[in-house]
Amino acid sequence: MNVLVTYPERCVGCRICEQWCSWKHEGRVNPTKARVRVSRVHSKYLNVPVTCMQCAKSPCIAACREGALSKDPATGAVIVDEEKCIGCRRCVRACPYGAVAIDKDKRVVLICDLCGGEPQCVAHCREGAIEYVPLAVADRGQRAAYVETVAAAMEGGSK
Amino acid sequence: MAALKGLAGQILRVDLTSGSITKEPTPEDVFAGYIGARGVGAYLLLKELKPHTDPLGPDNKLIFLTGPVEGTLAPGANKITVTFRSPLTGTYFFSLCGGHLAPEVKFAGYDGIIIEGRGDHPVYLWIDDDRVTLKDASHLWGKLTHATEDAIRAELKDEAIRVACIGPAGEKLSRFACIQSDYHREFGRGGAGAVMGSKNLKAIAVRGSGSIEVADPAALEALAEKTYSILAGNLKARARRHYGTPEMVDGTNGLGYWGTRNFSSGYFEEANKINAASMKENIFVGHISCYACPIACGKVSYIKEGPYAGTMIEGPEFESAGLLGANCGVADLAALVKAVEICDTYGLDTMSAGAVASLAMECYEKGIITSRDTGGLDLRFGNGAALVALMEKIVRREGIGDLLAEGSKRAAEKLGVPELAMQVKGQEFATYDPRGCKGMGLGYAISPKGAHHMIAPTMGAETAGDGSKRFEYKGKAALVRETQFLLAVVDSLSLCSSMRFALGLKEQIELYRAVSGLALDEAGAMLIGEKITNLERLFNQREGFDRKDDYLPPRMLKEKMPTGPSQGHLVELDPMLDEYYDLMGWDRQGRPTAEKLAALGLAHLWREVS
Repeated sequence: MNVLVTYPERCVGCRICEQWCSWKHEGRVNPTKARVRVSRVHSKYLNVPVTCMQCAKSPCIAACREGALSKDPATGAVIVDEEKCIGCRRCVRACPYGAVAIDKDKRVVLICDLCGGEPQCVAHCREGAIEYVPLAVADRGQRAAYVETVAAAMEGGSK
Repeated sequence: MAALKGLAGQILRVDLTSGSITKEPTPEDVFAGYIGARGVGAYLLLKELKPHTDPLGPDNKLIFLTGPVEGTLAPGANKITVTFRSPLTGTYFFSLCGGHLAPEVKFAGYDGIIIEGRGDHPVYLWIDDDRVTLKDASHLWGKLTHATEDAIRAELKDEAIRVACIGPAGEKLSRFACIQSDYHREFGRGGAGAVMGSKNLKAIAVRGSGSIEVADPAALEALAEKTYSILAGNLKARARRHYGTPEMVDGTNGLGYWGTRNFSSGYFEEANKINAASMKENIFVGHISCYACPIACGKVSYIKEGPYAGTMIEGPEFESAGLLGANCGVADLAALVKAVEICDTYGLDTMSAGAVASLAMECYEKGIITSRDTGGLDLRFGNGAALVALMEKIVRREGIGDLLAEGSKRAAEKLGVPELAMQVKGQEFATYDPRGCKGMGLGYAISPKGAHHMIAPTMGAETAGDGSKRFEYKGKAALVRETQFLLAVVDSLSLCSSMRFALGLKEQIELYRAVSGLALDEAGAMLIGEKITNLERLFNQREGFDRKDDYLPPRMLKEKMPTGPSQGHLVELDPMLDEYYDLMGWDRQGRPTAEKLAALGLAHLWREVS
């Protein structure tokens, strides 16, 4: 099973991910209906992609009283049953990452469905700021970055 | 049902005098005829502005317009234009701004925003989808641009709101004040910020949640994918991705047409200290992108030590490095970054700011002004600290800064040395020295908004191969004409001009067809470019501009380039002008002929407005 891994330090804030997400799901570009959003922290010149992390114990599913949310056994994505969803936004509050939004027209929630296993945000991110990797190795990017930092420090110290 | 897709369908009209806010249906016929943004702006300004309108009076307008491809899947579609009569040049003017403002305006449901009148106290416009209000901005007046953006987002309690605002330079009506957005994207040239300041409008804040319908989604999707893959393999686009616009420093300086020390030369011997490699090595700490851009040329710079430690900006862009750097003889990166920061936070065009600074420096070195005039500043070329201090004076209109805030033409006239201002129609040169690139000289000269480099950016074609073509005159009038039409189309589509690395006219028109559903072809698009060019010319003609205003400063015509690879060259402008006017179907005074106007279908319009 694959999960999304984000690298905010690589994100440039072009929001092409938002474009393709809404395009594939809605047939139109509409950032407010994208399941991934890039937030810019202007004062720090940072861009942070925010999307569903496919938590193992999904707080959104636990928070839903209507039984509208479930996990796709094939992809691990949270699937929204639009018939059951009442748009109460309890899952929005439950998500620790702010990854759940609401569709203002349909009044149901928007959660990343991994595009059925071919996430379009990943396919179109030129910066490699979102990756879709097997859960078993989803930690390796972070580890590599950490190791690089340590190695650089050690190199500097040995001089 | 609208025949024309790609539009939001409404134009917002705000009269600050009465406070009235109205929504009008987007004039589809005008969009069909002129594509959008720049083209539609030229049409509307000619039509709506009375002749001889005071640029800083209530009758001037700020016509913000988006293009048809924005808010769709189109790559690099993020420019919004503002069209107005410039307080710097007195001409028709449009400025383009990237960032994230344009799609937000369309998502909010508008193809454009027309601002007219003058408020009796500072206000800002808050566009929240269909709810549009004017809010008091008295508490924001005097604030710097970044602080204004932050304050508005905090006040409206939404970090994702897009803001365009002016800083103190615009409030103080500096003639080259800009409108700033997303911290470091701006409607840069021509003084749009002063017009906004004269209207007592501090900012426009936008939040949109809608979407744009396109005519042929499948075709658009395929074109977007194709564009990404072409850009990924394009060397020029890759250079820009890695180094930002300063990638152009080495090429321009290497051929000796990079304006240096107030264009006394075109070759800066210390360019390697402020070129892309030096920036990457010393100050770049990150990348930042405009909306939907697969290049992401924005580079974040940070000064780690020295007197300017802690300064952080997006940039410096190539033009800022040229005009605040080489043209002031300044090779101190930290000072350059600080100067850009001052311009951006106070809301001043870095290019004109660099140009007036270089003018002041030349005057100082020649003894035309002394340290008594400069308040003790040692304004020698190359003095980075003095440049920074001078910027502070200009943005605050203190001492000599008050004179310089009027722009280099007015300042030089006041100082009795009009010939030292490197400008056309009052608009200061961009960073290219036309003696080393003749087509750029013609482009500066005939540009409807003065010496602007993006009206006919021919430098790429002129420097291709061994670079010697840049000295030729043959074919330059035709090249300028064709480039001018092409750019009129690009600017009207509102694509970033960097997309031209991958997208020729053919591909851009394919994009336009997929989005709009109109059956426009390349010849038709070039004809629209020609029509726009003529409309712009007509506006200026109505204001009294003609051939006498299509001249370069005497330095370009009489002083041979003293050093560098373009040494010994001048610009022989008159023959190029004659040839250009002939090709355009204008008379030798640069006025569109009756036959030309009839052929372009503009005769009726011209009779109506003149």
